[in-house]
Amino acid sequence: MKWVLYERLRAATAAGFSCTVVTRLADGAQAFFDGARWEGAIDLTDAQRAAVRRMLVAGRSGMLPAEQDLFVRSYARAPRLIVVGAAHISQFLAPMATLAGFDVIVIDPRRAFASAERFPGVTLVDEWPDTALERLKPDATTAVVTLTHDPKLDDPALIAALRSPAFYVGALGSTRTHAKRVARLTEAGLGDKVARIHAPVGLDLGGRAPCEIAVSILSQVIQVRYRGEAA
Amino acid sequence: MTHPELKADAAGSAGRIYQEAIKVLANAATGHGALVAPDGRAFIDNPLCGDCVEMEVNVAGSRIAALAHQVKGCLLCRAAASVIGKRAVGARAEEVEQISAGVSAMLEQQAPPPAGWHELSAFAPVHGHRSRYDCVRLPFQALLAALRAARPRD
Repeated sequence: MKWVLYERLRAATAAGFSCTVVTRLADGAQAFFDGARWEGAIDLTDAQRAAVRRMLVAGRSGMLPAEQDLFVRSYARAPRLIVVGAAHISQFLAPMATLAGFDVIVIDPRRAFASAERFPGVTLVDEWPDTALERLKPDATTAVVTLTHDPKLDDPALIAALRSPAFYVGALGSTRTHAKRVARLTEAGLGDKVARIHAPVGLDLGGRAPCEIAVSILSQVIQVRYRGEAA
Repeated sequence: MTHPELKADAAGSAGRIYQEAIKVLANAATGHGALVAPDGRAFIDNPLCGDCVEMEVNVAGSRIAALAHQVKGCLLCRAAASVIGKRAVGARAEEVEQISAGVSAMLEQQAPPPAGWHELSAFAPVHGHRSRYDCVRLPFQALLAALRAARPRD
């Protein structure tokens, strides 16, 4: 491995970023991908890059599918779920996602809601969502879900999430609420990215109770993690 | 948590508290920023809605010589901070206390806006929305706290 790539890999893993090294077996040439940027001596096609990203998101290593010559080594941390909004749904979603293997972080500057009593054993952050996400830096194995019921808090979180390599971005709210949100985010210059938002959030399981919505959100996050956005 | 009135018809009473004058004030963000060497600084937040205000002041001869604020919050909170940015420079701490009391009287009892602060009349429709009073008051509380912090210790 080239020293420069090794340094990139070391820095990324030390900072807690999931990343990938692709090796061409014929000559040992390598490329490095940190979820946002590519570096190194191999020029991959867009389709190959997308396939590498899918393996990184899923935390999988091995031969790149449909390729004879490219080995992918993913250095993936445990998937993270960042929940914005210490709402009722979050009280179910946080423990469920923890049991499902996610590192869960709940962000809400409304300290009255984001209390340790309501969220035992969960990492709570009471900064504003934009400040918190700037610090937490969502990576390729991070999912971000906004559940605050308040655009003043959801919008800055979504703007930060859409500018990050997060593999999943979801937002609570009806189709009508989402149409207004899309208009605001488009005005904020994110028109090319709003399609990434899963809204209404979650798989359509038919349930309406907060615990059932939590299951539908967690299901969709897991589905996108392994099946990709095309699922 | 959504304020209940926000679920009402946007063209109805909830629409009025977000009238154009409020939007113009909020977007102007007069006084937004930070001072190089503030004499007093305060950070106040509302744990129920998440709004937060950081206020910095410089004081000269018992009057506000300069101020700067950074607000993360709703339109009402940002608009109120903007009025402060426009009007509070030159005021004494006692005057700010009177203005602050005047804002409460305006919200609670529909009193006329404090003299010389006519922009505050934009907040008159908030009278019908008790849960939003603190959105307007938060920047004033932050300014008073910053002035207290700037006061030399006896």
